[in-house]
Amino acid sequence: MQRASRLKRELQMLSSEPPPGITCWQTEERIDDLRAQIVGGTETPYEGGVFTLEINVPERYPFEPPKIRFLTPIYHPNIDNSGRICHDALKLPPKGAWKPSLNISTVLTSIQLLMAEPNPDDPLMADISSEFKYNKQLFEEKARKWTQEHAVQKNKVTARVSSSTLASDANTQTHPVA
Amino acid sequence: MEGSDSVGQSGSDQPESPRRRQLDRLGREEAFYQFVNNLSNEDYRLMRDNNLLGTPGEATEDELFSRLQQIKDSPQQQNNTPNAENGEDPVEPPESFEDPASGDSLLDWLNTVRRTGNTTRTGHRGNQSWRAVSHTNPNSGDFRFSLEISVNRDLAELLILLLLLKGSSLEGQDVVANPPQVPMETEVVEESVVEELAVIVEPEPEVEEVVSQEILEPPSSPASLLAQRPLSPPRRGLRRPRSHSPEPRRTRARTARSRSPFNLDQLDSLSNQRHVHSSLGPSAATSNISVPQVEGSSRTRQHVLPRQGTTDGDVQPSRAAAESAPEVQNVTSQEGEAAVGDGGSTGRRPPTIMLDLQVRRVRPGEYRQRDSIASRTRSRSQNSNNTFLYESERGGFRRTFSRSERAGVRTYVSTIRIPIRRISDAGLGEATSMALQSMIRQIMTGFGELGYLMDSDSDSLDSNRGANTPADLADVLNNPGTTPAAAPTADVDDEPPVVAGVRARTAEIDVDEGLAAGPPASGGRARPRPPVSLEEPSSLPFLRLAHFFLLNDDDEDQPQGLTKEQIDNLSMRNFGESDALKTCSVCITEYAEGNKLRKLPCSHEYHVHCIDRWLSENSTCPICRRAVLVSANRESVV
Repeated sequence: MQRASRLKRELQMLSSEPPPGITCWQTEERIDDLRAQIVGGTETPYEGGVFTLEINVPERYPFEPPKIRFLTPIYHPNIDNSGRICHDALKLPPKGAWKPSLNISTVLTSIQLLMAEPNPDDPLMADISSEFKYNKQLFEEKARKWTQEHAVQKNKVTARVSSSTLASDANTQTHPVA
Repeated sequence: MEGSDSVGQSGSDQPESPRRRQLDRLGREEAFYQFVNNLSNEDYRLMRDNNLLGTPGEATEDELFSRLQQIKDSPQQQNNTPNAENGEDPVEPPESFEDPASGDSLLDWLNTVRRTGNTTRTGHRGNQSWRAVSHTNPNSGDFRFSLEISVNRDLAELLILLLLLKGSSLEGQDVVANPPQVPMETEVVEESVVEELAVIVEPEPEVEEVVSQEILEPPSSPASLLAQRPLSPPRRGLRRPRSHSPEPRRTRARTARSRSPFNLDQLDSLSNQRHVHSSLGPSAATSNISVPQVEGSSRTRQHVLPRQGTTDGDVQPSRAAAESAPEVQNVTSQEGEAAVGDGGSTGRRPPTIMLDLQVRRVRPGEYRQRDSIASRTRSRSQNSNNTFLYESERGGFRRTFSRSERAGVRTYVSTIRIPIRRISDAGLGEATSMALQSMIRQIMTGFGELGYLMDSDSDSLDSNRGANTPADLADVLNNPGTTPAAAPTADVDDEPPVVAGVRARTAEIDVDEGLAAGPPASGGRARPRPPVSLEEPSSLPFLRLAHFFLLNDDDEDQPQGLTKEQIDNLSMRNFGESDALKTCSVCITEYAEGNKLRKLPCSHEYHVHCIDRWLSENSTCPICRRAVLVSANRESVV
């Protein structure tokens, strides 16, 4: 497939000019299994958190979208408990909007955007979605709590070492390349 | 083989030396682009349409080159219809049939096939790969042609179609003894999802014998039958019968027996079968028989037989079952006819030619054995939860269509039996020609039938999904062309002992799929099959078939791609120095001089090989998502 050469290029681009707040790297020499981290946007309930995602590149990429899911639990109307993301760029037409001119980087960016702006009208998690719609405060509270519990945790470890700083500091530390 | 091999490789190698593999792959991809760039337009098209390009990185440049040479050297086989079917490979066999469609040319074709000896051809197209294998036994004159198609839809799923054509020499020789062995089919099944389509055209002579014997016995003493079958080793089973009762074989055409995938059921249905037997005997010839199980079992046998040689261990259980399965019913109708004619002549083939069309989908993990047939058999027997069978007879042709489904595995079997008056005798006289012609037609029809099914489905796709409804089925059944009697069905598994009559009930209802094969073609020798037009170049029955099943199963939003013609209508140019630097957004590679670009109506450009592939499955521009097709049509209109 075109996958190999294209992915190679994509990874180069991702490392040379990564989109802000996003890192992506290859795991264990396997080109079809990537990891990415998205930093929770400021002024969102995810601020301070670092969310890890798993990216699976199908054999037929780029004719098929990459399969992406959150490894880090996240409280979000469009992301379910197992980390699956309801996002049209991750699906093939006619249902979805994947097209070969998209790439890992753009898809991650759009996920970042989705985090900042959930789409409650196309919910994956109905409860969270209605909460988001009708009780935003509660939603944000919960989302923040989840972020603290799950997305900041790893950082705490490293943070502790360097004398328990807050997540924001930890972020920079844990962020390898970015 | 290549197809499956490569699949296997990618699976297994990856973990081991991923890095090196990746490097190799990259190198090959570069070479691929290089190669494509240097192709002339015709060559490019030729290769693309024949699925020879594969995907970048899959084959080395040398391999690609040799493929090109190969195809150029054998234009008659692949080129003859530049645009149409070949590309879709699977269809080849049918095509070939078609060409010779008149008079003795059919014979020629058959003979050609026979003489081709053992060859294997493979190809890829998009996410599909196919392999065609012909195998001839010089001694017996038996030949076999098989075609496998695998479609990789998803990472996980693989679809395989298997086309199997089997025949014995047309000459009068007695081929009785040797079961044709076809090694190749087996491999197919490696993938998770497998669809097999098997078409077997077989003069019955050889294998059947065995069956007959068995069959004969069962009716009289069921118990004995049971006992016997299990005892005999699966493979041998066939032979053994032969030796025992040579005569029986001849008599009845072995017609249906082995083919059926259902065999497993046999045990359960033994009692039934017998019933069937008796009942069938009389009526079978003329009207449809509704004994699904039996048939199934009988058919299975045949399949099993040939293959058994090939595969042993895994399948045994099933085989045993198969053996035990009574092939009985089949014998009834056709054989009756056949028997009449041939009775004594040793050397003669049974007058019947069988055509078998099987489609099956297997989920991953269902089985992995090499021998697809065997596995088929096995799974069949074990699960026939939902089996429906349709039979019709007309003008001496009897056709059966059945479908069974069981967790994850759905099998469709279409069998057409054509009595032929002694091919062996007279050389290729008028009668023979006729017979062959009709046979071919039958074959075509068989395809068409499937195509029809597919069509209806796809139609439904576009307009309404309703195609599957019972109503449709009914239509099919009623189809004027179709046989007078049709309709029997049965759930084999569930109710073993039931007599044929009972079974009939189920059929229509069960068939939600609309699969009820239209019997239309069966009758007609020459007449073009109505519903499905083979002629339609762009849609190969096989592909559509695959599509159909895929659709049926999971998502219906399978994107619709463009046809080759439509793609070819889009403009194409070579990238020149003067052009501004641009990048193909499919492969994210900058265009180099000499690259072939295709420009969509929306003015976006891509490498031809990049965009062609996308368009074969989708109909929108990868950048702006504008529909390519609409504009394309407009253009052509202008």
